[in-house]
Amino acid sequence: MTLSLTRQVVEVSASKALLLSSFTLYSLSTQTLDRAPAVMASRKQGHREVLESMYSVIVLVFMLVACVELGDAASAVDVYRLIQYDISGVPLGSRFASLNHHASSMHFSPGVDLTRTVLVIPIRELDLGFVKVLLMVLSSDHYILWWILQYPVYFAFEDDNVNTIPADIKRNDASGQQATATAGGFKLVVSAAEPKKVASPVITNIQGWLSGSKTDGDTNQLPTIAIRGSSWEWCCGAVALLEIARLFSILYSNPRTRGRYNLLFGLTSGGPYNYNGTHKLWLGSFDQRLRETIDYAICLNSIGSWDNELYVHVSKPPENAYIRQIFEDISSVAEELGVKVGLKHKKINISNSRVAWEHEQFSRHRMTAATLSEPSVAPGLLERAGGLSDGRHFVNENSVARIVKLVAESLGRHIYGYQGKNIEIFDDGSSLAINPSYIGSWLDLLSQTPRVAPFLLKNDPFVMALKKELTDHTDEVIVQTEVLDGMFTFYDSTKAILNVYQVASVTFDLLLLLVLGSYLIVLFSFLVIVTRGLDLISLFRRPSSRKIKTA
Amino acid sequence: MTVFHFFNCAILTFGPHAVYYSATPLSEYDTLGTSIKAALVYLGTALVKLVCLATFLNVSENDNFDPSQELLKALIGFIDVAGLYFALTQLTHRNISQNHKFQAIGLGWAFADSVLHRLAPLWVGARGLEFTWDFILQGIEANANLVFSISLAALGSLMWLRKNKPKTLIPIIYACAGIVATMPSITSYLRRSLGWHFPKVVGFELFTSLMMAIISWQLFSACQRPSSA
Repeated sequence: MTLSLTRQVVEVSASKALLLSSFTLYSLSTQTLDRAPAVMASRKQGHREVLESMYSVIVLVFMLVACVELGDAASAVDVYRLIQYDISGVPLGSRFASLNHHASSMHFSPGVDLTRTVLVIPIRELDLGFVKVLLMVLSSDHYILWWILQYPVYFAFEDDNVNTIPADIKRNDASGQQATATAGGFKLVVSAAEPKKVASPVITNIQGWLSGSKTDGDTNQLPTIAIRGSSWEWCCGAVALLEIARLFSILYSNPRTRGRYNLLFGLTSGGPYNYNGTHKLWLGSFDQRLRETIDYAICLNSIGSWDNELYVHVSKPPENAYIRQIFEDISSVAEELGVKVGLKHKKINISNSRVAWEHEQFSRHRMTAATLSEPSVAPGLLERAGGLSDGRHFVNENSVARIVKLVAESLGRHIYGYQGKNIEIFDDGSSLAINPSYIGSWLDLLSQTPRVAPFLLKNDPFVMALKKELTDHTDEVIVQTEVLDGMFTFYDSTKAILNVYQVASVTFDLLLLLVLGSYLIVLFSFLVIVTRGLDLISLFRRPSSRKIKTA
Repeated sequence: MTVFHFFNCAILTFGPHAVYYSATPLSEYDTLGTSIKAALVYLGTALVKLVCLATFLNVSENDNFDPSQELLKALIGFIDVAGLYFALTQLTHRNISQNHKFQAIGLGWAFADSVLHRLAPLWVGARGLEFTWDFILQGIEANANLVFSISLAALGSLMWLRKNKPKTLIPIIYACAGIVATMPSITSYLRRSLGWHFPKVVGFELFTSLMMAIISWQLFSACQRPSSA
């Protein structure tokens, strides 16, 4: 089917090119006839014209080559490689990229040789104990990162196209045939270059500033509240931040409702990498006066899915007046919403360079800060770094909406001085209601974009989209980028195309050769008998007549 | 493995031509020159057909059967017949009997057709990793095409080279020649309009080629009888 269509296309396009070249030649010939008198000019012209006619021939060749089908895989799938990185020189992760082996599923018969095969495993069927024996793939994301794997490991999204492949492989394995070079089956090929170090991985922060209203004659700087969410590693903090920014921009757009606090929204990155983005870049860029005016900072972390319990993590002692005030704000709103909020205090360990929570970076710069999050203990280094566990179905937009309500209400009451009063600023049904569809659409976008910080360039469309969104809601937006150095070194070649080929076995080819050989022999003998049949019979008769003669 | 597969398919596609040449008396009478001349005539015919196709035909993207386009293609297909006429009558051959002439010309014609239409896809496609049945089916189709070419050459030589034919057989000869000449249009109609798959179409081609071969063989021997009698 495709062959005949290709043939047609080849024929027509080749004929068209032939026409084109013949017309070119014809026009060239007429031109040279006209320009006969000017010899020198015509010689140069002639050279040029010969070149032009060559071009048409070359075009013809290219068209013929292009028309013949070059891609021949059964299917090509986008796959993403398990991250490869070094921490302080220690190599971790999957160290290899290219792949060219037969495929097999988990249902192979025992005793089979698995070297030089590729295991295709749907995530649901992973069994940690068994796989630890094989040293191949592990069940949850953060464990994988601590292994050094001498094999390439790839992940692919499930869709109809991809799902048929494991099913076919399973069927093949169930029939007892092992997929090797001698039997048929599937061959998976990823041709990727050797992974190289990413020369200077950049991290990007976006910051938006919403100014409060100054009454005339007020010489003091307005106090500022900073809200920080991470856009790269945890999807939910960023979305909550955008929604809060949107709500407050509505309030601040009207001079009469503008609060007397400035709001500083920060989308920082480098979270799992010791909160590098927050620490060096963002906080380092604040000048002294700004730092003094910051009343407090709230960091949003891991708020994607939670039931009814949240924790406010602080590093200053809870008896501190500021901390108490923040906690009271939040818990009073939380009571109304039916949410339980607990306070957790963790002292900063100055000697340890590892930072557990983001607010610790703020505290190191002597700013009051707290982190609102669902887990009660700090995540380990690189834990919850996004990736597989960051799926859209793990995140509940209602919980994000509730967090937004919680934070926005407590901020609002603090800004407008309604603490303790039973007034709901962001009432449902009002123009200031939380918009779940806004949250939902941003969550969809974030869950579909690969967001590992070192691989996101400055001009990434994702970064631009976030910047534009924040520009809509705030007065001033600044984008900062910095090279991420220090403990981490990353390797590239994260995305590749996996080609799945259905291959026939060698026995099939041999069988085919046998069949063809016998067919040709049969054809030969048939033709000989039909066309020279009488000669053959006489061939058989001759020896017997000779025998009679000798005898 | 895959070069192996290419080798297999090449044998299937081009082997029968060589076998035909060596098995029949064609090799004894050294009719290779005739075959080569016929192949060159086929090349020329193919070029003329390409130019006509490019001028008059517009390639549609979908696979539907368009009667006017197919009619045009069939008309252009008759250029094939003209080329065969040229090869049979106008070219000077060495002194070989009519019997062998049409076989040699048919053989050369079919070989050039296979090379032109099937070698390039085979070279590029069969050497890849992915396995499909397409190339084997293509080889079978080449075999059927060989039989068709020889039958057409036989009918052509009957039509143009033999002067004394039984009157009753003449319409049959022309009808069979017409069927064989329009074979490409018939197969494309089957493939597009009726939606037949490639294996089915190839099976149909094989069957009709054998039928046509038997019929033209009978016609040829029937026309030969008066002269021998």
